[in-house]
Amino acid sequence: MNGPGDQNFYYLLEVAFNASPFEIHHAYQEMYQLYAEGSLATYSFFPRKEREEILAKLNEAYSTLIDEKKRSHYDQLLVERGILEEGRQYYRNQKTWSLMYDSKRTNTDTALSVRNELKAIVSSNRVIQEILTHDVLSGKDLKRIRDELGVSLEMIAEMVKVRIVFLRAIEEDQFEKMPSRMFLKSFLRAYAQCMGLDANIVASHYLKRIEE
Amino acid sequence: MPHIWPIGGGKGGTGKSFLTGNIGILLARQGFKTLLIDADLGAPNLHTIIGLPYPMISLSDFLNKKVTTIQETVLEIPIPNLFLISGARNKLDIANLAYAQKMKILRAILRLDYDYILLDLGAGTSFNTIDFFTISDSGIFVCTPEPTSIENTYRLICSVYVRKIRQVLKIDRFRNLATEAETRNPDAVIHNPETLLNILKDINPEEGRMFERILRAFQFKLVINQVRRQDNPKIGALICKIIEKHLGLKIQFIGKVSFDERVHETVCKKEPFIDKYRYFQATLDLEPIVKGITGMTDQQAVAL
Repeated sequence: MNGPGDQNFYYLLEVAFNASPFEIHHAYQEMYQLYAEGSLATYSFFPRKEREEILAKLNEAYSTLIDEKKRSHYDQLLVERGILEEGRQYYRNQKTWSLMYDSKRTNTDTALSVRNELKAIVSSNRVIQEILTHDVLSGKDLKRIRDELGVSLEMIAEMVKVRIVFLRAIEEDQFEKMPSRMFLKSFLRAYAQCMGLDANIVASHYLKRIEE
Repeated sequence: MPHIWPIGGGKGGTGKSFLTGNIGILLARQGFKTLLIDADLGAPNLHTIIGLPYPMISLSDFLNKKVTTIQETVLEIPIPNLFLISGARNKLDIANLAYAQKMKILRAILRLDYDYILLDLGAGTSFNTIDFFTISDSGIFVCTPEPTSIENTYRLICSVYVRKIRQVLKIDRFRNLATEAETRNPDAVIHNPETLLNILKDINPEEGRMFERILRAFQFKLVINQVRRQDNPKIGALICKIIEKHLGLKIQFIGKVSFDERVHETVCKKEPFIDKYRYFQATLDLEPIVKGITGMTDQQAVAL
């Protein structure tokens, strides 16, 4: 590569000496795309041989810097050449991981056992039974049942894999936000089932109100 | 001394005349006395872009000595502060201009009294095009995000720089340099100005350093035109990066202009685009580019 400055691996990838592996990875991706065959910005700029040489150098730089052992060895070399100061540290980017989804909750087995527990509450709870005797069910009724059961809407959304906006629309009777009838029916069924209710009854009683 | 901005791009149809016309109008609106020169001698059409009816006087009238000074070929335009030297009535063989005549034009342009002079250049890398770059330290390259245009832009930029080196070195010594470069790097596609410079430094370090100073003094700008939504928005910056890194030349990306179907319509109707579509994206895109040319910050522009 032509260009001013020292041609060390850090310079090649255009990263700082203390770049984290994460930064190195991204810098490499960007540089590789820039010089790769078919890149628009370098179209016709390099003869094939030169392009291949550049790419090979980038690969070498990346494979060295991304490997902790190789990198410290390479850094030592730079220190000997007087390019780098000794005792330098780089940020290792050790972010602690966290769960995006709790598989314990969405696991089929646990979902089943939760449903059975809720079923037991439904059959013994007088308020819920009273609501279920209604001919027509509104969103408010459904929400009262859910509150009696003490289940959060978020938990239902996660278990039945339906977006929470739709479930909220059902409970708040916001017809304009609801999906088409076919989806609405299956969402209602999933919602009812998840709480241990009779899916057919809940769905038909709720839809009856809309269709009136 | 006026600021002279040659506007070129290598490939035809990238929007050089469109940008020259519309940037000229914007500069004039900011109060700068601006002159547009249609330097695409063989295929002039700048007058059509800014909506001027068929002009009666042209650049070739100056060459033919019909008029004595270049100032007399300047046309008044309905737009305040904006002036035009058209090429509409150029002789058909003017594209093959003799060197002496070209020099006559260039010298005359340098003596004109305007704030900004924009030279609308033709496509290609013939001497008639790139010599207009040699009268100024600045220049704008117009490129579209297509391989054909990018290829030609690289070639034009290299040609301009190599021409500058050649101008200073004089022909014999330049030829020596070129042969030397050829032997060292036989399969190079383009004469790489940086390689030439390195060889020059090898041969004569003092001269090499002097050249480096000359080359780095140039303030060339890049504009990406006709950017469609699916195009990579970073392409302009990347091109400048490649040029700086591998050619050792400084070039600044000053902005992109969105592609707009209506440009075709305004050209057909012979109306300036920015007048008809004042608040469209392509018009708004021109503002940062004008700022890049005047080098003015927002506050200074407001003070005007």
